[in-house]
Amino acid sequence: MLLPMSRNPEEPVYNRIEAARNALGLSRQELADKVGVHYQTVGYLEREEYSPSLVLALRIANALNQEVSDLFSLNPFKKGK
Amino acid sequence: MSKKNKIYWFEGVTEKGVKSLLTDENSKYRWLRSQRNRRILVVLMALGTALVAAGSYWPTLKTNLNLSDETSVVIYSVTAIFAIFAVLVGYLFLRISVRGIADAPDELLDERQIKIRDTSFRYAYYGFGYIVLVLLLLMNIGPEVKLFQPEGNDGSYLIISMMFLCAALPSMILAWRERDI
Repeated sequence: MLLPMSRNPEEPVYNRIEAARNALGLSRQELADKVGVHYQTVGYLEREEYSPSLVLALRIANALNQEVSDLFSLNPFKKGK
Repeated sequence: MSKKNKIYWFEGVTEKGVKSLLTDENSKYRWLRSQRNRRILVVLMALGTALVAAGSYWPTLKTNLNLSDETSVVIYSVTAIFAIFAVLVGYLFLRISVRGIADAPDELLDERQIKIRDTSFRYAYYGFGYIVLVLLLLMNIGPEVKLFQPEGNDGSYLIISMMFLCAALPSMILAWRERDI
């Protein structure tokens, strides 16, 4: 099966961007504008189909008032945490 | 005062043009962006390009179909003009369908878009190389199978179609592979 080119199946980066974004009441477009990416890219990140660079991860964490380590992980996040 | 519209000569795009495609300003083209419609466009582009390339094989086809010279000139001219025009229009729609990402410079794209653009160019390079290799082999294999070199055939349509393909292949790959664009 052909995967989208931006997917990284070998080393997925799990994240809680959507939860943090919703908690702040931001739309994908608003978050995208804050961190300087296209709104589709925010969608790819939230679906964990794209692993961000360190710079982008830091920008997202900053925009969502979170620590990078709270927002991104190499292991799946436990539900409810 | 409006900001000057920067022209990227090497890529053949303008700043406003790319930005307009990247935002959803042109909502009338939204129907083009579903993966199904993008894939249909890619198939049509491939067929159109093949039809243009077939123009180089016309003298042999005309002989095989026993067409008179007058009839053949009309069919040949009308088909060639239609096919080239259709491929050009198809290429325009293809660029719109992928938001111009394949032709956009780094400074107008984000990191994911740069990554998928570069990957599409890598695949396009391989794909184009294989197509040219196959055509070169077909031109030269065996005296009875010299498909593109029968007497009287003109290679110019093949060259035109290769130029189309060279320009459109990165966008075609992007249009085919990406789910959301």
